[in-house]
Order: sequence, then C-alpha cells, then structure tokens
Amino acid sequence: MDQLVTDLKSRIIETLKLQDITPGQIDENAPLFGSGLGLDSIDALELVVMLEKHYGIVIKDIEEGRPAFASVHALAEFIRAKQPTK
Amino acid sequence: MTARSPVITGLGIITAPGCGVAEVWSALRAGQSGLGALTLFPSPRYGQSPIAEVRGDLLALGAPVHGSRTDRLVWLAAREAIESAQLRDFDGERAGVSLGGSTGGSFDSERFLTTLIKTGKLRPRPTRFHECANATDLVADSFGFYGPGVTVATACSSGALSIATAADMIVAGAADVMLAGGGDSVSRMTWGGFHSLMLVDAQGCRPFDVARAGMSLGEGAAILVVEEEQFARRRGATILARLSGWGASCDAFHATAPHPEGSGAVAAMRAALRRANLTPAAIDYVNAHGTGTRDNDLAEGKALKTVFGDRVPPFSSTKRFFGHSLGASGAIEAVVCVAALRHQELPANPGFSDVDPAIGLTPVTEFQPARLRHVMSNSFGFGGNNAVLIISQPDTPAPPVPATVQPIVVTGVGVVCAPGVSDYQIKPPLPPATVPAFVCGEFAGPGELDPMQRRRASRLGQMTLVAAKRCGPATANTAVAIGTGLGCVGEAAQFIENMIAKDEGEPMPARFINSVHNVPAGLIGMAMGARGFNSAPTCREISFEVALWQGCDQLATGSADAALVGGADELGKYYVTFAGRWGLWKNAARPGEGATVVRLAPGGPGLARVTAVRLGRYRRPFDVGREAAWIAETIDLKQVEVLMTGAGGWPVLDEHYTAVAGQLGLPQQTYKQLCGDHYSASAFGFAQAVELVRGGCRGVVLYTLSVSGGKAVCCVQP
Repeated sequence: MDQLVTDLKSRIIETLKLQDITPGQIDENAPLFGSGLGLDSIDALELVVMLEKHYGIVIKDIEEGRPAFASVHALAEFIRAKQPTK
Repeated sequence: MTARSPVITGLGIITAPGCGVAEVWSALRAGQSGLGALTLFPSPRYGQSPIAEVRGDLLALGAPVHGSRTDRLVWLAAREAIESAQLRDFDGERAGVSLGGSTGGSFDSERFLTTLIKTGKLRPRPTRFHECANATDLVADSFGFYGPGVTVATACSSGALSIATAADMIVAGAADVMLAGGGDSVSRMTWGGFHSLMLVDAQGCRPFDVARAGMSLGEGAAILVVEEEQFARRRGATILARLSGWGASCDAFHATAPHPEGSGAVAAMRAALRRANLTPAAIDYVNAHGTGTRDNDLAEGKALKTVFGDRVPPFSSTKRFFGHSLGASGAIEAVVCVAALRHQELPANPGFSDVDPAIGLTPVTEFQPARLRHVMSNSFGFGGNNAVLIISQPDTPAPPVPATVQPIVVTGVGVVCAPGVSDYQIKPPLPPATVPAFVCGEFAGPGELDPMQRRRASRLGQMTLVAAKRCGPATANTAVAIGTGLGCVGEAAQFIENMIAKDEGEPMPARFINSVHNVPAGLIGMAMGARGFNSAPTCREISFEVALWQGCDQLATGSADAALVGGADELGKYYVTFAGRWGLWKNAARPGEGATVVRLAPGGPGLARVTAVRLGRYRRPFDVGREAAWIAETIDLKQVEVLMTGAGGWPVLDEHYTAVAGQLGLPQQTYKQLCGDHYSASAFGFAQAVELVRGGCRGVVLYTLSVSGGKAVCCVQP
C-alpha cells in the first residue's frame, strides 16, 4: 500500500473531523467531493490548509487545486508532482 | 386614517472614498476608488491585497473616545444624517435606532488578544466595546433616541436588513423616526477570514468581469433617517426619497455559497417589488451586491435575469469604490441609491472590462445621467441571507400597507438548556480557571443532528437547530429570527486566537464561516427548509425580544405563514472571565448558555397568545415610576398575574426589576436560576411564561432590561 495514500486518508479524516469513517473505508479512486465522501467547498479550503501545513504546498487559487481534489489518489499524485524529492 | 409609510429625510456616510454624502458622490462621479494599502494592522501573509480603509483621524472629526472603531464610524455617519434631516426637538420616545453590523468591536478586541497572546499581559479594556449592539446603544444615548433600539447581524446583508426593520417599525407604529443603517470597521478577523476562504482578489475586486477573482474588503458606516411620511411632512422635513419596498429571504442552501440559480435573491427581489406594489419593469436601476466573487456575481446575474427577463435595468456594483464593508455595505449602497435618485445620475461599476459569457450582462461602465424613479439595492450574506430595498422618488405614490393579522399564537416551544450547574473550564490563553456555570454539555438526542451538522455546524448553531426542531416542522415561508448576544464566540475565538498566534499561518476557514452571528438562523433555514425572512438580532439582553418583535411583525403583516423565533448564546471564556471581574453574577447567579426557539402562527389553536411586544430604552438614572407606566400603557395589567424578569445578571438591574414589580403590584418571578445568565436567557423566560399560562396563569409579563439601556416587554396570555 502506498504510504502517502494511507497518510492522506488519515489526515483527511482528522482535518475534516470525519468521525464515523476509518481510513479503510475511503476508496482512493472515488471522488472526494459531491458524491463519494460528500465533501464541499469549505472542506476543500480546509484541505488546502492541511496541504500547506503537512506538505508545504501552497495553493493560492482554489481552481488550481481542483484537479488535485478529484480523489485521494489524485491528491497523492499532486503532492508528488509538487514535491519531487519526497 | 392614512396608512403609515416610510420616507427618507437624512443621509450620513463615511467610507474610504469619502466622508459625507457630497464627498462620496464626487468620488463616484470622478471614478475614485477607495482601495489602497492596509495600514491598520500588520498582515504578514495577506498584506499585499488592497483594502478600502477610512483614512484620517476619527477622533479629530469629533467621534467619541468611548467606543470601538466601528462605533466611531457609525456615530459620525449618524451625526451627519441627523444634521441633514434637520431633526431637532423631537420626542425621543418615538425615535428609534436600527443598525446592522457584522464584526462590531472586533478590531479593538483583537488588540487585547494580540497583547495577551504575544506578551501574556491581560489588558481587557478594548473588549468593552466588542458587541455589535454597542454602536446602536451609543448612538441612541448620544442623540436621544429612546424608542426601539435594534441591531441585526446577518453578515453582509445586515445594513439592508436593518433598514427593512426600521421600515417595518415605522409602518407598525413602533416609532415615528428611525436612524437606520450600519457600520463595520476593518478587522483581522474578516481580513484573515476572507483570505482563508480564498475570496479576496489580489488586484482589487472586479465585479461581473469575466476575470473576477474575488472581493476587496472595506470599512465604513452609513445612516439614513427614515420617518413616517406624515410625521416628516408635519415637521416640514425635506423628503429625499421614499422607502417603497423591502424584502428578505433565506437561500436555505449553503453556509457560504449562494444558491447557484440565485433563488433566494430572486425571492427577496420579488418580495420587495410586491411590497412596493411595482412590476419589475418599473425599476430603473439596480445597485447590485456584486462582490466580485465568482459565485456571487454569477448567481446574482442569473437572479437579475429571472426577475427582469430580457429587460434587466441598468445595474452596477459600487464595491470597488467602497470595498465590501460587510454590515455597512447595504446601508452605504442605500445612500448611493438615494443620491442617484436626487442627482438623476448612475454610478459606474469600476473593475469591469469584459463580459462573462456565463452571466451575459454588462453593468454600467461610466458615471452617467439617467431618468430614475425607482431603484433597487441588493444585499446578500453568509447563511444565504438576502435583503433587498426599493427606493423611489418622493413624488411616487405610497404603496399600500398590508392589513394586520392578530393575535399571534405560540404553537411550539423547543428548549436546549443545561441540566444544572457544573464546572466550566477557562482555557488558555487566559489564565486557566474553573467557574461554576450552566453548561449544556451533550444536548442533542439521537437523530436530532445529521452527520454533516454534527461535523460542520458551530456548537451554537447545533444548539439552536435542536431547539428549533423540537418546535415542530417549518414551512417554506417560515420566517426565522434568532437573537444572540455574542454569537458563535467559541468558533470566533478559536479562529482569531489561531490567526494571531500563528501570524496568519494555518488559518481555519470553516471556523471563520461559523463565526458570524447569523449561523443559528441560517442553519435553521437550511436544515428546515425555511426560505422566508431570516434575521439575527444582537441586542444584548433583549436580543430575543427583538427576534420576537420581528417574527410577530412578519406574521402580522402576512409576510410569512409561520415564524421560528428564539434566542441562543454559548458560554465564552473571555466574557465569563471579564464580566465576572466587572461585577456580573455577584448576586449568586451563574453564567450559563442555551437556546430556546418558539414557533409562532398567525391565529389558530396554540399553547398561548403573544398579546404585546414592545421595545424601547430606559433613561439614566432609572426612573421606576416612568418605567412602570411604560409597561402599564402597553399591557392591560388586570389581565396578568406575574412579572417575569431577567434578574440574576447585573446586580443593578436586579434592583430595577424589584422596584418595578413593586410599583406595578405584581409578584416577580425569575428564570436565570434555572438556565444561567446569558444575553438571550429571556428566550428561556418566555418558554417559562408559556408553561405558566398553560398551567392556568391568566397572563405573564416578560420584562427585560439590558445593561446598556435597552428594554423590552411582552405579554403571554392563554
């Protein structure tokens, strides 16, 4: 299992206070927003803060982050692309 | 008898592009934006964004020392408005104040927090002007307005909703003249908050432009003198304009995002048109909310097309001139509309250059002459809260006034309160302490909140929603008014403490959204599908009674078919700490928290009737005879058996209550020993009154005084 994907699932649960969900219940290929976990635009903003805090990635325009929030898998790819050394 | 009709006779304004109506109009004519660099506080992370600050020394202009920055802005605008209306030698009892605000004294409270967090020193003086209600109380006492004193805090629509409320008060006969408007100063809270929501355009706002990327913040205040038409004519006032229509609605969709089709905006515009007895074709200009955010402008554009079809009148957003000054905006833009009518000129929409194909509308791009009879001003806020005003030439006919429905009946009561006294923990950055208090703890029963509400809603919002649901279901045209003295203090404190401690790093966007005072009212609208009038009065101890007044008025005028009115406040560590030190709860009462919501209907069967609601101010020194007479002229004392009072808070108020009860010869009952002391505790007192009446009592007078001069009385009967 991809460690970054596992970490991200835990961080998403923690950041968004998804109390009734375990990391194992999140499908890394399922959409994060709308359907899937049912997150909304405010959750996206919270994830932007999380990305900066834990991965040092600054997103200045929410549109820029939109493709990254398609799924946990997409988010992991986005982080890798921005952090080639990790 | 001629119907009572509100007209506008005076204007006052203070904003970044100008101080005073003449200066502001010159700036709009010349196309001078007030945007510039932030100077009022350091901003390590966001300091590059432009902002519309009011320049100059407010004290040198004559503003009172004793007040927050917001209070001073409001006071200066009020002085100009009163002078321009040539309002003097009036009966103070018939003169009220209705103001909108969003951040109140935050700017000043943040100085205290910065000192505390950065140096560990406790210097709470600046927090004394924290409440939005402070500006209202200051202006009322300063200028002798002893009628109803109301403050509404529905985020960015506050300044328009306060004017709508003033109009309702004039029509209902609660006052003959009102100071109406709003004010908000810049604050670290809103500056950091809107940046954390990524809603600030680094180039300055560009409303309706295809490349728009957000809003620009601003600050200021604007006040209108709104008078009953015959009263104005009798005193020989110059009538500047007629306030012909006003309407409010709730999107009931999302905490921050507008309904994508602008359905709430459409409902508010149509409600205002209905009130004004006008067709859409009669509107000659719309001052748009037009913040410059992607979502607002798109939704508003769609709403304009829905209301006006393919004949959308000339419209412009003046936000790039003034910045978005939140609770002041609706009032500033109302002043702009009156000035536009007076000058027969239209202000432009700076920042716009290219049409957004998704909107398909072009605003007014140049300041220009125009023939104007009726103009509309839109204001929309967080919580899906919408308020729309229609302002007309003075020679237009007065619109008909709706017939009133009586009596108002209580059909449901929902209470969330503490089971008893327990330990409330005061946490850092304050010195840790334990205070006995009425703490609600786990208040929601199984299924009373859905997972999303549990996860996302603020605690105060949750408390109020649970109380509202306990009243029974809401209809689509239910009016909601939830009074709160301090709002979501838990969320607000966490957001700003974090902002200061981390120098704007790692912001908390969800907490910012939850910090506005209208979270409880907006959440009820959203969760219960109530799309009618939606308000969040914040008037210290009489916050609930103002909500009750608004709910009853909506029902009495046929504007809503049910109303959910209530009061809600949560324990806040700063308030508990400092109010305790300043002498509150000396008489053995304890601080507390809770939410009470009551459901009202226009007639029909119910638990009790609300037979009177009246708001006002008492004078200092407190005159027992005068205050007892005020109650006696409002309520037939032969029909009541109990005076229910808010004793148990400030010791000085306890003395007043006891004296008034003695003068009236009524036994006094109190409720704060059951629910704890908080600003909106009288909502719990109202529920107690309903219980007494159901138990056979012939009638209860609920009498509430605020520490800053407000008073309210209402009567509950079988």
